[in-house]
Amino acid sequence: MLKYEPGSTVVHALDPRTKLAVQAGFAVAAFAHTTPRGLAVLTAIALGFVGAARLSPLGTLVELRFVLPILIAAPLLEGLTFGWPWFSLAQARFPALASYRVLLILFVSAAYVHTTPTRESRAAVQWLIPGKPGQFLGMGVAVVFRFLPVIVDDLVRAREAMHARLGTERPLAERIRIVATAGLRRVFARADALSLALRARCFAWNPTLPRLSLGWWDVPGMALGLALVGSAVIGSV
Amino acid sequence: MSADTHDVDLVGEEVVENVARAALFAALMGAFAYVSFPNPFSPAPVTLQVLGVFLAGIFLGPVWGGASLVVYLVAGAVGAPVFSGGAAGLGHLVGSNAGYLISWPVAAFVVGAIVHGGLTVGDPRAVGSVRLVGAMVLATALIYAFGIAGLMIVLGMGPVAAFTAGAAAFIPAEAFKIAAAVGIVRSDAFIAE
Repeated sequence: MLKYEPGSTVVHALDPRTKLAVQAGFAVAAFAHTTPRGLAVLTAIALGFVGAARLSPLGTLVELRFVLPILIAAPLLEGLTFGWPWFSLAQARFPALASYRVLLILFVSAAYVHTTPTRESRAAVQWLIPGKPGQFLGMGVAVVFRFLPVIVDDLVRAREAMHARLGTERPLAERIRIVATAGLRRVFARADALSLALRARCFAWNPTLPRLSLGWWDVPGMALGLALVGSAVIGSV
Repeated sequence: MSADTHDVDLVGEEVVENVARAALFAALMGAFAYVSFPNPFSPAPVTLQVLGVFLAGIFLGPVWGGASLVVYLVAGAVGAPVFSGGAAGLGHLVGSNAGYLISWPVAAFVVGAIVHGGLTVGDPRAVGSVRLVGAMVLATALIYAFGIAGLMIVLGMGPVAAFTAGAAAFIPAEAFKIAAAVGIVRSDAFIAE
């Protein structure tokens, strides 16, 4: 699964804000330059970013398998015509380019996920959204990372228990209800325990976070992010 | 950023509880992405995520339910594997599923606002079935409208192709989730506070 792996690559060393700027700039540029030439340049940038993060492009493609069906279906469906020749390349052209640009955007964000630890992402979120809303989001993000595997296990256990009791013979709505009820029960119980623990530890709106600082490598990174946005602005004028 | 030890701003008691619930509910939404059931109507399996959107509105109310879904989106954007199929990354918020994802906080708010008749959270068991089902049907329509618009904008598809690929195969299964949500509310398993 695509997740953070510690490492010593240039991309790991970048400030999370720089990586977010590159992703945002890349997305804006990809939407502005959805042409074969534009996408060729962006492919080089995306592969360079993924390569610098020491992430295998093929492995990343396998990770993205759940979005591939719709990306492939879009140009195929759009190209279909009623009557001869049944398929129009001209109609399928733009959706094909659009699907490809989504794939590139997902590649760049995969490099971010692979190289950025949760605490840095949290600090970046709270830098971007100051005050209590940012603090709430940052804390929520940390809780999601911590509790996701636990709750997935809860649901798997509920499902196995249901199967062991011939649950597969029950109607679909009933099965969904059983698994979701078990999940909800556990979530509320865990939320109560968590809120008690948070209050016991003086849960505050202003805790201490890791200090974010830009390094020398962030200069070209930020410049790339800005250049991509700039290219979109210039392209649209 | 300096270590702030002199001026601690504690989170209020009630807010702590709502924050913990909203955050854990966001994790549940992520866990729902890993659970799928075979769909009797189409080859696309049924995942429980839309059910999570309904339940967020019903049990957390419009404000905290919507906030919980925003936490879910931000967590997925910064790398928690919570999007469908265990995917993660900011790219998904501008990718082919962007419309669906962005609609979820709005849909949870709408379900909560209709079920509770405003911004304050009451007991969902006291709500009539027509109101409950109506809220979820409206939310489903909203989710698919956003989802189809997303496919049209991001992938450049026409409305017919977007509906065929992004909604036709999935909409019938939503009836099961609505039925399951009504069953959960009526089961007396939870007492909302």
